[in-house]
Amino acid sequence: MAAEKAQVVVIGGGATGTGILRDLALRGISAILVEQGDLAHGTSSRFHGLLHSGARYAVKDKEAARECLEENMILRRIAPNCVENTGGLFVQLPEDNAEYADQWLAACAESGIPTEELDPRELRRNTPVLHHRVTRAFIVPDCAVDGFRVLWSNVNSARRYGARLYTYHSLTGIQQSNGKVTGVELTNQLTGERKYIECEMIINSTGAWGGAVAALAGIELNIIKDKGTLVAYNHRLTNQVVNRLRPPGDGDIFVPHGTITIFGTTSVTVNDAACTKPGHGEVLDLIKIGQEMIPDLENYRLIRAFAGVRPLYQAGNTAGGRSVTRNFALVDHQERDGLQGFISIVGGKFTTFRLMAEKTVDLAAKRLDVTAPCRTAEESLTSPVSEQWLERGKRVFGIPGAKKAADRLGDSFQRVVEEAEKNPDQRKIFCECEVVSLAEIVHVAGDGDSFTLGDIRRKTRMGMGTCQGTFCSYRTLGALSGYSQFAGNHREYLTKFLQKRWKGIRPVLWGQQLREAQLSSAIYCSLFGMERML
Amino acid sequence: MMKKNTDVLVIGAGLSGLMAAAKAVAQHKKVLLVAKGMGALGLSSGCIDLWGYQINQPDKVCTNPLAEIAKLVSHKPEHPYAKVADVLPESIDFFLQICHQNKISYLNTNRNWQLPTALGTLRPTYLVPQSMAVPDLAEVKELLVVGFQALKDFYPDVLITNLQKNTPLGAHCHLKTLMVKLANQELNANTLAHLLEKQAMLEQVISQIKPHVLPGMVVLFPPVLGEQLGHEVTEVLSEKLGCSVYEVANIPPALPGQRLQKALLHHLKTQGVEVIIGCQVTDAQITEKRCQGVVANSNGKIMEISAQTMVLATGSFLGGGLTSQSNEIKEAVFGLPVKVCPGKWSRQDFLSLAGQPFHEFGVAVNDQLQPLDDQGQVLLENVLITGANLAGCNYPIEKCGNGVALASGYKAGKLVGEAGR
Ligand SMILES: Cc1cc2nc3c(=O)[nH]c(=O)nc-3n(C[C@H](O)[C@H](O)[C@H](O)COP(=O)(O)OP(=O)(O)OC[C@H]3O[C@@H](n4cnc5c(N)ncnc54)[C@H](O)[C@@H]3O)c2cc1C
Ligand SMILES: Cc1cc2nc3c(=O)[nH]c(=O)nc-3n(C[C@H](O)[C@H](O)[C@H](O)COP(=O)(O)OP(=O)(O)OC[C@H]3O[C@@H](n4cnc5c(N)ncnc54)[C@H](O)[C@@H]3O)c2cc1C
Repeated sequence: MAAEKAQVVVIGGGATGTGILRDLALRGISAILVEQGDLAHGTSSRFHGLLHSGARYAVKDKEAARECLEENMILRRIAPNCVENTGGLFVQLPEDNAEYADQWLAACAESGIPTEELDPRELRRNTPVLHHRVTRAFIVPDCAVDGFRVLWSNVNSARRYGARLYTYHSLTGIQQSNGKVTGVELTNQLTGERKYIECEMIINSTGAWGGAVAALAGIELNIIKDKGTLVAYNHRLTNQVVNRLRPPGDGDIFVPHGTITIFGTTSVTVNDAACTKPGHGEVLDLIKIGQEMIPDLENYRLIRAFAGVRPLYQAGNTAGGRSVTRNFALVDHQERDGLQGFISIVGGKFTTFRLMAEKTVDLAAKRLDVTAPCRTAEESLTSPVSEQWLERGKRVFGIPGAKKAADRLGDSFQRVVEEAEKNPDQRKIFCECEVVSLAEIVHVAGDGDSFTLGDIRRKTRMGMGTCQGTFCSYRTLGALSGYSQFAGNHREYLTKFLQKRWKGIRPVLWGQQLREAQLSSAIYCSLFGMERML
Repeated sequence: MMKKNTDVLVIGAGLSGLMAAAKAVAQHKKVLLVAKGMGALGLSSGCIDLWGYQINQPDKVCTNPLAEIAKLVSHKPEHPYAKVADVLPESIDFFLQICHQNKISYLNTNRNWQLPTALGTLRPTYLVPQSMAVPDLAEVKELLVVGFQALKDFYPDVLITNLQKNTPLGAHCHLKTLMVKLANQELNANTLAHLLEKQAMLEQVISQIKPHVLPGMVVLFPPVLGEQLGHEVTEVLSEKLGCSVYEVANIPPALPGQRLQKALLHHLKTQGVEVIIGCQVTDAQITEKRCQGVVANSNGKIMEISAQTMVLATGSFLGGGLTSQSNEIKEAVFGLPVKVCPGKWSRQDFLSLAGQPFHEFGVAVNDQLQPLDDQGQVLLENVLITGANLAGCNYPIEKCGNGVALASGYKAGKLVGEAGR
């Protein structure tokens, strides 16, 4: 059998890898993206969701700050429905170093980040949850960003130009001959099958896994893995992103996303990129720090905790590493290690993914003798759902249901509405917390990119709400029992669903969450006897 | 401020509170029952579980739960059953008698039933409403599972698929499923149950099922066959289809538990118990190990209630009897000490066969159901604790939730009924 071919194989379906895939495709370079799990399996779905204005980095790293600002403005323009333009606040408390505020203001000005001082009295009126002792407050152009949506939009945009995607495929081997990359060996994570792709170039954009992937080529690449824990509140605590005005540290950012707020984070070095277990102790520490800004924090309902691993690049002993900026590093292994056709991109932030992709593909294009320029900052990433379709959607799913579905589905919204119009049975709302209809679940189950229950969960967000999946897990089992790939074994289906939710709930198991957990446990054990199910 | 005085104050309208009030009033006490909301009974299957599995082999069903509980009492003396085992048989008789008086039929075969659930598992249980008393499935030759297109909470195919894995069916048993179509819009269990009480609607259901019925067939439905008391939808279906018809346990809302709840409330009212729902007890006046009275908020109005004895039947976290913060757990009304496993509230495995520890948290009591401190000293002499508020029981795994509530509620009612004589 002839092996599949592409000029470039990109490894890692995070913000960076999907951004690179799109950039390659827009320049007419044939490309395949390979991801070991679902898109956003790594850090790009386990982050704060803050589209930085750069203000957080202004004092320490002006170049990084400037990059953030520029990319922030670009993403708002090209992907308006992935960004919630919340604006951001930096607030200072009496115990914080007062001089830092002036230093920070000057640094922002130097980096071109607009700031506007807010009278603390006005702040107390607008944002009463914040501590009344706030001494100074400033407005900056921070935003909230939906990582999952950005990643899928990148891929869908790239696909329009012929790019291909393999999820649930892990890179397990790199083929080289005469100091040149010739192909990759992939292993299907669901079936164990092997697959080979011939290519001229591999781009390693695997974030915290970057070292392990480079090792497959016999190359050493040092990446520090830094775990951060986050918690999600079931409230929109503030309308703006809130940062603490002091040198960046733990527990100093609140990001509102729709009706919830994500608060964090912490910083612990770990050995394994897959170490995403949020700790109970870390959560308690976080809340304690957060109370300095929002004194009532303990009384708000937490939905879950989660953790992600930051890939921090350490140039250190890897002398050849050419640092593009102190923020991220592009490593040309041809230059550094003498392996032609292998590039690694490491470090960085979600906010700057597009820029990182641009720099990476600039290098790749040069090596491939392609002269087409980067177009990712000009061409729209997504087009918002039209008013007309939103109206039709409201008639079948109700107002909140249609809005949420339109946000989640983007271009596919139309097809799901049509299906529900034709088939009233499909209008049933299966997940009441996130307002997910049967039509949407069935659509996602058949979209060709869904292989596991988790894929359906992430795309529809079913089971992500306050009921902890108690009701929708059982209902979707019913709806999907006809699809053997998702629900072949019912016990396994439910166990996985419930266990996934439980991992996030356990670290925040008190108050309303404990009540809800008791209900859930009573339903699955007392009523259904699932602990002994065969 | 409104003031009330009574012999017995029962706080909580779950099964244990309802039983306590019923037994106390049967002994001619003046009884007031107040509750914030209705309890877990309405969320449950409606069956009374006593004890599900063998103590030495927790994967094997026990046939005689009374004998198993006798073993448990010596094995685990801190279990609530150890405090109420003396009245267990009479509490069951009392319960059945009330059911009988109120024309709601529960069956007792002196052994555990093994009843199918909507998930296709079997649940061991002891007292069973007539409408759920599915016969031994090994004997059934034709089984039909009927769902409703409009009801998103019940899937005949799911039931059938797992039933085949979870129970030995007869070698020649035929399994079939059928979806009844009634309306285009979605219906929840309560609305559907209400509609099925209407004859025209039931006729529609019958006409869709009838062509599939075979002699000797057993037909299983979701637990939605009639909402109100005395509406014998199951019987009508059974008669018109010419086969046996049953409801199976399912996620809430489910009607059998709600029907029992209504029947018990109705019983209390006919016996002269004053019942106030929507009334939360917020504070208690305590002097010298006695509670003189409590303050309650009844739909916004503040009430002071004094009573000789009180039954605390406020349930666990779900009922509101226990409240929690990140680092502490409290009994909500009297601030009684709660027995916990420090540092271990939950287990990593959600469906662990060892159970989630938080279910076991609760108030420790003596044989008189009086609350104790960690030295074993009585804290309040005239307050008795019942049901899911008691420490030491992991009902979701042990299968004993309604059983513990029934027996402890009965015992508390009996003790307060005898008090002051
Ligand atoms: C707690 C926390 C909060 C953060 N908050 C913010 C924020 O608010 N704003 C911001 O801009 N940035 C934030 N960041 C940083 C940002 O999330 C990351 O820098 C960014 O998501 C990294 O994206 P990536 O694509 O490089 O890596 P990833 O998203 O981790 O993608 C790498 C992918 O490679 C895949 N992979 C690994 N090995 C293989 C293999 N052998 N074969 C195939 N696939 C493989 C992985 O499964 C993974 O999906 C935060 C980070 C953390 C940890
Ligand atoms: C989903 C589910 C399914 C179940 N299925 C079964 C089953 O099939 N079989 C079985 O045997 N067991 C089952 N159980 C367990 C069983 O139903 C419970 O253990 C039992 O009913 C508990 O009864 P209770 O009276 O102790 O408490 P609850 O039923 O919790 O009642 C507590 C009462 O106290 C009230 N209250 C609380 N605080 C206050 C206050 N401050 N002031 C006033 N009122 C207050 C509440 O509003 C409520 O009325 C199930 C439980 C659940 C949750």
